[in-house]
Amino acid sequence: MEALSLIEYNSRIKRLLFDPSVQSCWVTAETSDVRVSRGHCYLELIQKNDSGATVARLGAVIWASTFARLAHYFKSETGKDFSSNMKVMVKLSANFHEQYGLKAVIGDIDPKYTLGDMERIKREILARLQADGIIDMNKQLPWGLVPQRIAVISARGAAGYGDFMKQLHHNDYGLKFYTCLFEAVMQGENCVPSVISALDRVAAAEDKFDCVVIIRGGGSTSDLNSFDNYDLGANIAQFPLPIITGIGHDRDVTVPDMVSKLHVKTPTAAASFLVQCGAAQLERLKQLADAIATISREAIVQSREQLAYFGNFIPMAAMKLIETSRLQLNSYTQSIPMVLNSRLSNERMGLRHAQESIKSAVASAMERHRLQLDSLTDKVQLLSPQNTLNRGYSLTTLNGHVVTSASTINPGDRLETIFKDGKLTSVVE
Amino acid sequence: METQEISKLTYTQAITELEEIVKKMQSPDCSIDNLSQYTARSLELLKVCKAKLTATDEELRKVLDEMSDDKGGA
Repeated sequence: MEALSLIEYNSRIKRLLFDPSVQSCWVTAETSDVRVSRGHCYLELIQKNDSGATVARLGAVIWASTFARLAHYFKSETGKDFSSNMKVMVKLSANFHEQYGLKAVIGDIDPKYTLGDMERIKREILARLQADGIIDMNKQLPWGLVPQRIAVISARGAAGYGDFMKQLHHNDYGLKFYTCLFEAVMQGENCVPSVISALDRVAAAEDKFDCVVIIRGGGSTSDLNSFDNYDLGANIAQFPLPIITGIGHDRDVTVPDMVSKLHVKTPTAAASFLVQCGAAQLERLKQLADAIATISREAIVQSREQLAYFGNFIPMAAMKLIETSRLQLNSYTQSIPMVLNSRLSNERMGLRHAQESIKSAVASAMERHRLQLDSLTDKVQLLSPQNTLNRGYSLTTLNGHVVTSASTINPGDRLETIFKDGKLTSVVE
Repeated sequence: METQEISKLTYTQAITELEEIVKKMQSPDCSIDNLSQYTARSLELLKVCKAKLTATDEELRKVLDEMSDDKGGA
């Protein structure tokens, strides 16, 4: 039996593969181990079953001349670099090289398929977050009045982080912000665990911050789809502080962008938002200061008016009081003579009465005394010694004194006896 | 009026009190005596609020700078 050389056998395989059924076929597969070398893109196309086990595998290549065009086209359509772990639809032509073996050469790619698949994944993640009841949790957190203490999750030294810091700290309003970087890998396979780890570190110092800003380091937009991850979405959605994300870009919004409190397109926009929050507060303070100034000014004007009013009122009131008093005085002046006359007249009448009474009392008293006098005169006349003498009695005196007792008379006393019609002297024996 | 040590107020507490005072000042029932008292307090509160927005809290800056992976960047 004559044996074929290997190269002859391989040549037969090569010829078999010229069959149109394996040339220029559109095939759907998943990319793996994508690497670019000297402009050529080498990768593995794989197919997994429902349980995730690889059930088909084929080495593939996009030659440099095609890859330059396709890579650009793919990125412009999907917003992503052509990379591993993507569902793709590619036009394959089987090519067998005697020395290097089988390789599927990719001649074209349909980005819409990839886009659709990424959307499907995103939709599934969002549906799960919704079903878990956590999708809106971060959105429902309130902003503090002024988010000034900011935890930044980003890659140090990256352009986006630098832009954010510059925009925030050199704002036009002189607003002060306090930032703290929690470094994370923002692209590649480690991106999700790295960002989750940074979130855990922020959560441990939750009370020191008002909000979290997650911004990509800038530069390449490759592996953006790795952010479309349930665990990362769930972590962000349930984070206790409001989160601002600037992960996606204009056309592509990632799961974290969709569950965060606020999604902005660029790191600069995140900084602008925070600056505007502070500026709004400064404006609020200015309005309050204006209100205070206006109220105080108005109060002073009102008080002046009131004082001026009182100033006018006081002389008027005084004049009114003087006028009232003057009228009252006049009225008194007029009434005094009348009262006086009436009083004098009364007094005069009283005096007249008194005069009459005195006269009558005097007359009556005079009469009474005259009668008493008459009666006394009669009594005196009756009791007078002369009257007694007239009735036949005599009066004996000794040395001018009336003798009323015989014992007082001594012999030799010269007695004088008085009669009604004369006197007689006798000597006692 | 319940007055709290002004330096211990947070921005939110200070601006809340400030807005309440301005509301009272705008009331027609506010006497001129109260007005001067309110004006003095409100000006102090304004100063505190503005300082919280625009003056650096060195202590806070230091704490966060210590925690940061980008030392001196805060």
